[in-house]
Amino acid sequence: MNENQAVQYLESMIGQTLRIHATDTRIFVGNFKCTDAARNIILGQTYEYRFPTPSAVHDAAVETEKQESESSRVASPNLKVNMTSRFIGLVVVPGQHITKIELEETPQQIRVREALRKQ
Amino acid sequence: MRVVSQTVVPCDITDEFTKAASKLRTGQLVKDEYFTLFEAVGALEIMDSKMDSGYLGPGENHAQALEDDYDTMRELAPEEVVGIMDELLCHEMAWHIGHPLSQTLFTSLYLDKLLWPVPNTFEEAHFGRPRNAMNQESPAIVHLVLRAYCLGLVKCCDFVHARVSGEYFYEEEDFVTQLYNRSLLSQFDQQPFIQLLDRAIMWIEDRNNQLDDKIREAIQCRLVMRRDLLLGFEQDMEILETRMSAHFTSCVSQLPALAKSISLGKSVPESFSLKIQRKLASTVPPRPMVKISPEDALAHLKRLCQDAVDVLDILNYRGPHNLKVAIWSLLSRKPQPSVYIRSLVQSVIVNNMTVLGVVPVKQFLYDELAEIVLPASALLRANTDEIEMPSDPRFQIAQHMDAFVKRFAQPFVDTFRSACLNRCRIRRTVCHTIVDWDNLQMEAEDLDEQLRTLNNEPPLVLQNGDTTYSYPLSSWTYHQKLNQFRLIIQMGFELSIYSPEELPGMYWYLSHICSTHLGHIDRIRTFTVSTAKRNLASLAGEKLEALERHAALQKSLRLLERLTTQLVAVDALAISLHALYVLLVRHELLPLASSAQAYSSERLRYELRMKPFIPITLPELVPFEEYRREAMLEGDSDEVVLERATKAISEARKAWETTLNDGAFARDPDGQSDQTTAIEEDWKRDVKDIMRACIGASIAIGTVKKALAAHKGTNNGKDMERLNLRVSIAEPGSKSRWHDWWAVPQILQTGTELTT
Repeated sequence: MNENQAVQYLESMIGQTLRIHATDTRIFVGNFKCTDAARNIILGQTYEYRFPTPSAVHDAAVETEKQESESSRVASPNLKVNMTSRFIGLVVVPGQHITKIELEETPQQIRVREALRKQ
Repeated sequence: MRVVSQTVVPCDITDEFTKAASKLRTGQLVKDEYFTLFEAVGALEIMDSKMDSGYLGPGENHAQALEDDYDTMRELAPEEVVGIMDELLCHEMAWHIGHPLSQTLFTSLYLDKLLWPVPNTFEEAHFGRPRNAMNQESPAIVHLVLRAYCLGLVKCCDFVHARVSGEYFYEEEDFVTQLYNRSLLSQFDQQPFIQLLDRAIMWIEDRNNQLDDKIREAIQCRLVMRRDLLLGFEQDMEILETRMSAHFTSCVSQLPALAKSISLGKSVPESFSLKIQRKLASTVPPRPMVKISPEDALAHLKRLCQDAVDVLDILNYRGPHNLKVAIWSLLSRKPQPSVYIRSLVQSVIVNNMTVLGVVPVKQFLYDELAEIVLPASALLRANTDEIEMPSDPRFQIAQHMDAFVKRFAQPFVDTFRSACLNRCRIRRTVCHTIVDWDNLQMEAEDLDEQLRTLNNEPPLVLQNGDTTYSYPLSSWTYHQKLNQFRLIIQMGFELSIYSPEELPGMYWYLSHICSTHLGHIDRIRTFTVSTAKRNLASLAGEKLEALERHAALQKSLRLLERLTTQLVAVDALAISLHALYVLLVRHELLPLASSAQAYSSERLRYELRMKPFIPITLPELVPFEEYRREAMLEGDSDEVVLERATKAISEARKAWETTLNDGAFARDPDGQSDQTTAIEEDWKRDVKDIMRACIGASIAIGTVKKALAAHKGTNNGKDMERLNLRVSIAEPGSKSRWHDWWAVPQILQTGTELTT
């Protein structure tokens, strides 16, 4: 990948929704606005997601157990708890704090991308 | 909540992205073409403790990130309940004063429990969420008493929030409406809040042998205060019908007991936490908690209730002139009434095109015209509903007048509403609207010419034989505009806009505007007097209509007289201060704000001050050279200037005395003198302060006079020596500044002259 291709690739990401995972396990989901050589990333309209706290998980477990005993279903080993989220607007995530970058796509977008790659 | 379609799939692009980014040169950016670096500066930096409200400090683990160890279910001592209530009240008032909720009330863990997640039912808003059952009410001091207080407080905030955000205010300047994606329980009716408070009050009353009397009364008065306040806020607009403000009055009566028992409270600092900011939807960096003292909070609450009670005084409609005096007096209180009160007054002034809930806006404008320029005029009686023949001049008059109302009603009502802004914004707003009024005057002139022919107005023959017409609508508009000129200049003094070297010029300009205005009112009066003369003939026939007309004309003449007296008073004091400052400048006694090397010059300063007036066609802008001549009284000797100051100040003292005796409001001579209201007292205090400024000015003039005389005696012809005087000008708000609009210099003798 030369510089031109790199710029082209990054430009194709502009305006897309990215999920940036940070070193402290938080995830930032927002509209990709800008990046630089140090991989600092600016996101607009960002939501911050945080893993539920142990006590929230505990509460959810108790709640599920109660429901299960009421409906006499077999206890499942898995538990679903929502991440807590809040709107925080325009943010810059410094490159050194980024552990993972994900692109949010619809299946259609994926198909288009795959098709383009084959060309 | 972010809306996401169910089908999005995340695709890991870490490696590609990192590789691509590493190919960029240092300083090279790949960015959205509409995204500017200017915007980028406002981005919050993640993992920076100063910028990122979600950042966890070293040693803070994930489990503690969002949750505090504080248990909102724990039993509280009654003293602690009092302590928490008082702290909440401090936070509430801090919010009223203009701090955001995130730094005040939203730091309370009790409130957080009630408000998040958003409760679906009223019962769901309790401290035991999410683990405990809903209807637990034990210990009652927490789950009944404190909960009732907290919920009542949140609902109070809800009403205040709705009132303020519905009117003109300046976000972050006056108030922060941001709710951080929380709701202030606006989804619930106020009824259950009141019921719960009533239940809590009853419960505490029944505890007379379980709780110490003092602490029981302390809790009780807080609950009663909260209920009164809630009812007061809820029914704030109902005063238009009820003319009663019993709830706010009752709230004020609880405050002494509340103040006395503050010391009984035991604070529970653990029940407040900044960590809640991590959960609030907020686009700003984390900010510290705001602490105001209970004394300040109570003082603010007391003023708020008192102001709310006194809003009643402006409801008694006695014409636009009196209404303006009342509104200005109320809103010029020091400190300025809180943003809630200012919003309430805006709602009261005009709501659904009705002034004070009783006077339609059109009638309000007609009342004003009748007061100033069109007493008993046929123009104001014309009505398209009664005359339906389009060729009838009365029909056409009515049409023209309707066009006038359409154009002028809103700007006119806005001159009342703008008084409700914060002081800086009042001046700024008037600086903008004055240009609109200049345009309106031209439109009014066109209407006047058309109305004159329709109405067959007889011309007035002047002494030199020329004839002229009254131009009532444009006359009135000009009168309004001149009022605004004066307001802009005078508020400039209040807001400390002028540097000391500008004071002589600005007081000259103020007197210039006053004399222009006086001349204009004389013109209006001339026409009213001639109408009155014509009316005398029909009065002889003792026709009822003529009698009524006579009364209206006399009323208008009395108001014009009142306006003249006040303008003379302002003019005289301005002339006197102008002359005094000229002397101080001549003898280089005036403290200067700019250094000798400063870029600013007299011409540039003048240009800057005249900026709001440059686009105005009438009154014409005074050219700088003329201004300079007039402002420095060029050609007049010190003696002449001194004489001018002395004469003017004694005239000013007399005129302000007359103004004070005339009272705040224009009244019918046979009208009953209703009891003086709190607002009238404010007005009197204001005039008395101006009279103090007059006395201060005459003392200063006397000191300069003595020094000049002594100076003349000692140095024979060597006039290079300076007078031994020290001049200081007190800032607005300080004790020795008698009145904000009158910057009277304080002049002190500095010992005997040192001659070599």
